[in-house]
Amino acid sequence: MKILCILLAHFPWRCEVRRNPALEGRPAIVTYTSGSHRLVLDWSPELEGLQRDMPLQQALARHGEVDLLQADLPCYRAVFNELLDALEEKSPLVEGPDLGCVYIGVDGLQLIYPDEDALLQAINEAIPETFTSQIGIAGNKFLAYLAARRSPPGRHRILTGDVAAFLRRLPCDVLPVSMKSRSKLRDFGIDTLGQVAALLPGPVQSQFGPEGRRIWELARGHDDTPLYPRFMEKAIEESTTLSSVTVSLEAILVAAEVILVRVFADIARKGLGIRSLTLWTRSWSSENWERTIQFKEPAMDVKTAVSRIKRVLEDYPQPGPVEQVGIKINRLGYPHGRQKSLFSELRAQDHLIEDIKQLDLRLGNPQVYTVKEVEPWSRIPERRYALTPTGR
Amino acid sequence: MVEDTGKTLRADTYRPVNVPEPVKVEEDASGLPVAVGGKRRQVVAAVEDRWRIDDEWWRSEPVTRLYYAVRLASGQRLVLYKDLNDSCWYKQGY
Repeated sequence: MKILCILLAHFPWRCEVRRNPALEGRPAIVTYTSGSHRLVLDWSPELEGLQRDMPLQQALARHGEVDLLQADLPCYRAVFNELLDALEEKSPLVEGPDLGCVYIGVDGLQLIYPDEDALLQAINEAIPETFTSQIGIAGNKFLAYLAARRSPPGRHRILTGDVAAFLRRLPCDVLPVSMKSRSKLRDFGIDTLGQVAALLPGPVQSQFGPEGRRIWELARGHDDTPLYPRFMEKAIEESTTLSSVTVSLEAILVAAEVILVRVFADIARKGLGIRSLTLWTRSWSSENWERTIQFKEPAMDVKTAVSRIKRVLEDYPQPGPVEQVGIKINRLGYPHGRQKSLFSELRAQDHLIEDIKQLDLRLGNPQVYTVKEVEPWSRIPERRYALTPTGR
Repeated sequence: MVEDTGKTLRADTYRPVNVPEPVKVEEDASGLPVAVGGKRRQVVAAVEDRWRIDDEWWRSEPVTRLYYAVRLASGQRLVLYKDLNDSCWYKQGY
């Protein structure tokens, strides 16, 4: 299968520049918080020596005069999803495994785009100008990724012919394997993919376990990882802007309830319930807050969904006064089937007894009887059970 | 088992279950049933079991019954008993 890989370098930082063009050309670090640690997510291209997930203190030790930006992941994901939507108009097989990395299945597209230049032009049209893309085309995901990484910014590289020669000098750090395995390769003095490929698979596997086989195959350019296209599902997203900014939980909950009423008006007619939803809010200072809520059993009415949302709102406080509330329905589902019984259902039994009483009243004497144990231990058969009027 | 409703049984509405039904039975010399029924008489092929119940001896009419589990010539199985108080025969599911 022919795969096209698009890498958008510094995607989070580019999203920030897109939102605030004044950041262009200024040194900046995008940070995120993990527990009590502040870590680096991305940085402006002119800053060197930084790595993703490194502690912010280390980054500041290298670059003191920088703007610090708090990562707005919901915003980045929204921009990335817009990009994937645009790319899906070019090919139905689009996978976005990570922010700024896209794989596209291009088999069969030659019927639409006569040559690779036409295809690349169509792909580039879908990418917003803010982002600088690197594109690689090869026979599998790993090779396409490497080709994209090795292509100059704004250009592309098509990997054909002698793949082994291309891989031979590449460092082992490009392997998508665990840090432990990469470190172990270095400890063995194995620095390039060519050195790994020269080994026999057995020894590599015996040293690295199941991952050893994968390391050896990747080093020889074999990657059987399938493409996982985005799962197409009808998406429902509704939002409402509050009349005034608020920190009141009740006001946010009421807004969520209003949205859910609109959603259920659409889905309840089809007998569907909500399996998963994402609740998001936007504060007056443009801070985003979002939580995804999974329902063990589909929420079939507003009340069930609201009670769950209320707990989430209580557990995860808002970053600031909220001015917009929205709900995105990620997954719908049908209610779980339940075997119903006329007699075991309390309400049905109530109705039945009421009907029997009406019958008794109309006809003047008991019409329906229930077998009742009287003396089940008795040796005389007719003393064991008796019929008693039902509902009396 | 029927769930106990907790309500008191009322004699006027209560109906017995499995009431003995009088039946005409021909006996042999030893008192064993040999045929059941009047117009639609059926011969008893075998007496498969026999037991006696003596109960409620403290009442004026104690229960004294001699039960027979019989198989008719047609293959049908019946439980019959002879009430030893009045020497009448009855059939009853046991």
